[in-house]
Amino acid sequence: MRGLLEAKPLPVGQFTPDAIAQTDAHFFSPQQFATLHRLGEILQPRYKDYPGATEAGAPEFLDFLISVSPADRQQMYQSGLDRLESEAKQHFGKSFASVDAAQADQLLRPWLRTWLSDHPPTEPYALFINIVHTDIRTATMNSQAWSDAAHRAGQRPPDVDLYWYPVDPDLRRNPSNNGRN
Amino acid sequence: MAEEIVDVLIIGSGHSGGMAAKVLTEKGISCLMLNAGPIADVKKDTEVKPAYTLPYRGFRQPGQLPHVFQANEFNANTWVDEKEVPYTYDPGNPYNWVRVRLFGGRSLFWSRASFRLSDYEFKGKSHDGYGDDWPISLADLAPYYSRVEGIFRVQGQLSGLPQFPDGNFIPDQAPWSGCFQRLIAAGKPRNIAVCRQRTSLGINGLASSVNLLLPDAFATGKLRAIPNVVVCKLTTDKNTGLVNEAHFVDRISRREMSVKARVVVLAAGTLESTRLLLNSELANSSGVMGHYLIDQIYGAGITCSVPEARDGKATPGLMGGSALIPRFRNIDTKAKNFLRGYSINVWSSTGPMDPRSFAAYGDELHRKLDSYHGSGISTNIMGEVLARPENHVRINKDVVDAWDIPVLHIETKYTDNEFNMARDCVDTAVELAEAAGFEVLAKNYDPNPPGYSIHELGTCRMGNDPKTSVLNKWNQSHDIKNLWVVDGSAFVSAGWQNPTMTLTSLAMRASEYLAEQMRQGNV
Repeated sequence: MRGLLEAKPLPVGQFTPDAIAQTDAHFFSPQQFATLHRLGEILQPRYKDYPGATEAGAPEFLDFLISVSPADRQQMYQSGLDRLESEAKQHFGKSFASVDAAQADQLLRPWLRTWLSDHPPTEPYALFINIVHTDIRTATMNSQAWSDAAHRAGQRPPDVDLYWYPVDPDLRRNPSNNGRN
Repeated sequence: MAEEIVDVLIIGSGHSGGMAAKVLTEKGISCLMLNAGPIADVKKDTEVKPAYTLPYRGFRQPGQLPHVFQANEFNANTWVDEKEVPYTYDPGNPYNWVRVRLFGGRSLFWSRASFRLSDYEFKGKSHDGYGDDWPISLADLAPYYSRVEGIFRVQGQLSGLPQFPDGNFIPDQAPWSGCFQRLIAAGKPRNIAVCRQRTSLGINGLASSVNLLLPDAFATGKLRAIPNVVVCKLTTDKNTGLVNEAHFVDRISRREMSVKARVVVLAAGTLESTRLLLNSELANSSGVMGHYLIDQIYGAGITCSVPEARDGKATPGLMGGSALIPRFRNIDTKAKNFLRGYSINVWSSTGPMDPRSFAAYGDELHRKLDSYHGSGISTNIMGEVLARPENHVRINKDVVDAWDIPVLHIETKYTDNEFNMARDCVDTAVELAEAAGFEVLAKNYDPNPPGYSIHELGTCRMGNDPKTSVLNKWNQSHDIKNLWVVDGSAFVSAGWQNPTMTLTSLAMRASEYLAEQMRQGNV
């Protein structure tokens, strides 16, 4: 143990898998994922020297995030993506993945709302459009790619904060059993 | 085997428990403090990190802490997980019970807004006929407020408004920024006062029991404290009826233990103190315990921009700072569709705007965010929720927590009084903002769910009549003379004010009374 106590910390730092690896997307159907990917290009494109949703791996990350989310959030995303695809075919005779920016704007703009934290729109489709926008934006701006771009620009990356590790955790906790052990 | 009987057992380590420990030990009384959670060590337990290094990229872990809107991936481990300590509610009427069990409790993280209640709250029934008056007035509590404000180093300006009582403040002499000067001017013809915030400076931005109260108690040598023990039941002496023992469970090992005490002071936080008493089946001859659960409405507000501050023209002289608009409804006139009143928090941001303030995306949104940067000014309501007997908590014996302790069922909802109040607040904020020349970008009329304010109060209210109240005016149980409850559960009404100064002052007052009763041999 003395050797372990005296060992110098390795320069592992804050290198994460995102710096070198892609998230394997497998929750959404290929059609839904293609719609989400196009949404990312439309809603959060590259801006100045900062990456867009695609470069930040936001669609793949959201595929993971929604795959582990409660059922109502999964259903909101799936039905919202399906409706967007359906409306693209109805209005333009092609998939949302293939619509141009003007066509996408016709489908999205009527549903954009202004809202305050914790009070998103209540109508289900407006809720989806505004939540997916916020999620794509957050997944992009909280990515390592965005952080690297901020450093290159001499800016402080957004969302750097004090992280709390579990404090003296109760290792017997079993969350799947409603608190019982 | 230990045979010791402690003089005073204090359950809970937040502001109220910390104050009880400070007062009692400084009068030479030995105290034992029990706390359900561990001691946080910021050097060991925290690290500054970018969101991309966290498992969920700064999103909250899905499904975790669904009722703690204040939680994020950075601070998620500081809150009580409702899977570990559940509570139940009607799905149609959810309740946000926001809890911290770290040593020091919620005093570690509170906003530090520091206000006194006025006699419009202490004597609310006398003013408008609704509910019940407290058994004390502002004059009774004012000397204790002054001392607590001194300990907490409350910074503020005197207002001279009876609904916003002045106190023992470190003078706030900062000038108003231009946007607030415009808001003040907009308020004057409407008889709406825009005042400086009042904030506990504490020490280095921390105004907690762990740095302002407990160090003094430990310095006396009279305080011992045990973390990681969950108290599950209090029991009484069969001959005297006095509470004489607390039974608890080691949080980690689940070992069951008990300790004997001459006096018990409950300071576990409003609903945990009430839960413990209900599980112990004590001190409730009135049948009132658990009833009159109150809090404050938050969430209704507006987001604005100051046009003159856009496109790089935001200066420190124009933007920045914050203000408090104290209650102005139902003081000299009567609002048409609600009782009592609300205050409005106002703050100006010199940083980026919330993108949700714009119905735009892509390059258009980026351009708007660049243009509007530093021009934001926003409001939020803090409104009084009326005390109603039907809003209550009770024990649900069908569900237990991680230590097999039956949980609370919480049954409460807002009514038209709260919804009408929220609507009036937003409409008034819009009127003020437009009169001040601000552009209103977004607004919300809907309050957050009950509990969100983290100002749950009542359920062991004080009063002069033992048939209609749990505690007397000294926070002492009517039924059990050696039992005190010194946290927010003693409140008769909520007011619009953040309750910390009031509950800490009540704890000081109650503890000094207890010490005197012990000195005289009455307890």
